Amino acid sequence: MNINATFFAELIAFCIFVFITYRYIWPSMASVLEERRKEIDEGLQAASESKRQLEEAKEESGRVIDAAKSEASTLINQAGSRADQLIDEAKDQATEEAKKIKETAESDIAQSTNKAKETLKEELSVLVVAGASKILNKEIDESANKEIVDQLIKEL
Amino acid sequence: MAKEAANNLVETSDYIGHHLVNLTFGWCEKTSSWGFAHHQQDISKSLDSACNVSDMGFWAFHMDTIFMSVFLGVLVFGFFGLINSSAKVGTPSKLQNFVEFVHEFIGSAVSSGYHGTSKIVAPLAFASCLWILSWNLMDLLPVEMANFFGQAGSGINYFKVLPTADLNAPLALAAVVMVLVTYFSINTHGLGGFLKELFVVPLGPLEFISFVSKHVALALRLYGNLFAGEMIFILIAIMFGQFFMSFSQTLWFLPGLIMNLAWALFHILIVALQAYIFMMLTIAYLNLASSKH
Repeated sequence: MNINATFFAELIAFCIFVFITYRYIWPSMASVLEERRKEIDEGLQAASESKRQLEEAKEESGRVIDAAKSEASTLINQAGSRADQLIDEAKDQATEEAKKIKETAESDIAQSTNKAKETLKEELSVLVVAGASKILNKEIDESANKEIVDQLIKEL
Repeated sequence: MAKEAANNLVETSDYIGHHLVNLTFGWCEKTSSWGFAHHQQDISKSLDSACNVSDMGFWAFHMDTIFMSVFLGVLVFGFFGLINSSAKVGTPSKLQNFVEFVHEFIGSAVSSGYHGTSKIVAPLAFASCLWILSWNLMDLLPVEMANFFGQAGSGINYFKVLPTADLNAPLALAAVVMVLVTYFSINTHGLGGFLKELFVVPLGPLEFISFVSKHVALALRLYGNLFAGEMIFILIAIMFGQFFMSFSQTLWFLPGLIMNLAWALFHILIVALQAYIFMMLTIAYLNLASSKH
């Protein structure tokens, strides 16, 4: 239990060691640990951020797929209706065409019938005139009897 | 038989006394010169002019305490400084892991116990805890080792390897803590507030006694525990040593061995615990001093 000058030696030594710790040892290790803590923190944040982004991307892709699906179905529907429309149009056209052709044909037929009738009438008139002149043995003045002949032809 | 017992008793007390003497270098009143002190036992054999430890006043240095504490300090803080200088932020090496563990351990003790803003508390806790721990670990060296090597090699007869068992060393640490506590208190409450707290509120001058004794107790707690531990090692060593002295006490060999082992194992706890307690109390005192109440 003898207190002596050793006390001061120890005091000075302790102060020096505390100073060394304060100046060099403690802050350098603290900064290393703090930096690592920050790095880990950043890493975790980046991980959660990328997780969130992945989630978003998933949602986005789902949305895109849904949109594409609905668009495709609309397109299909449109195409279907368009096809129906086209078919109808084609049908209508065809019907109309057919009608037109039929009409033309009918008019042609009527025309040629009329023509034939005309021809026949003319020929008949010639024949009638010839027949009558043979019967009468005498030339019938065509111009004089034209009225009668025309009347006749008309009555045919 | 009685004479032998008396001889043994003298030897035993000599043995204990021998282990409690520091290697002292100081100013001798008798010879009016600086020099190493002799011990009472040697004085009878040597010259009258030789200086006894008791002839030295305050100006004496315990060279063994100073050497061992500084040596251990350089070793411990050098180790931490060395590892720190090559510390990486990335994956740490095993040694860096250990250093970081110590840092975190003390750092968490400080951050949970001290709520002020001072940057000195953590380094102070770190330095005191590790330095004291390194001192205390010297207690686990065999008690006879230092003397054995000393006598064999350098002729140094006294060498106490345990700085903690020299009251000067713990007292110096406690003094630093006391100065800091005073500084923190004045910083927080002002000089008037501190003096008022010391002498007036609530129990008058008793507060001052409590303030001083608190810090003396801080040193004495550490000193007492380690001194007592060392003493028990010495007593066990005497028991153990009887084996070589007389055959009739050979039977002491085995209990001596077992007790030495048992006490050493138990002492590891005290060694670490006292360093920890000193650190925690330092933190608590500084926290108390820097908090307004």
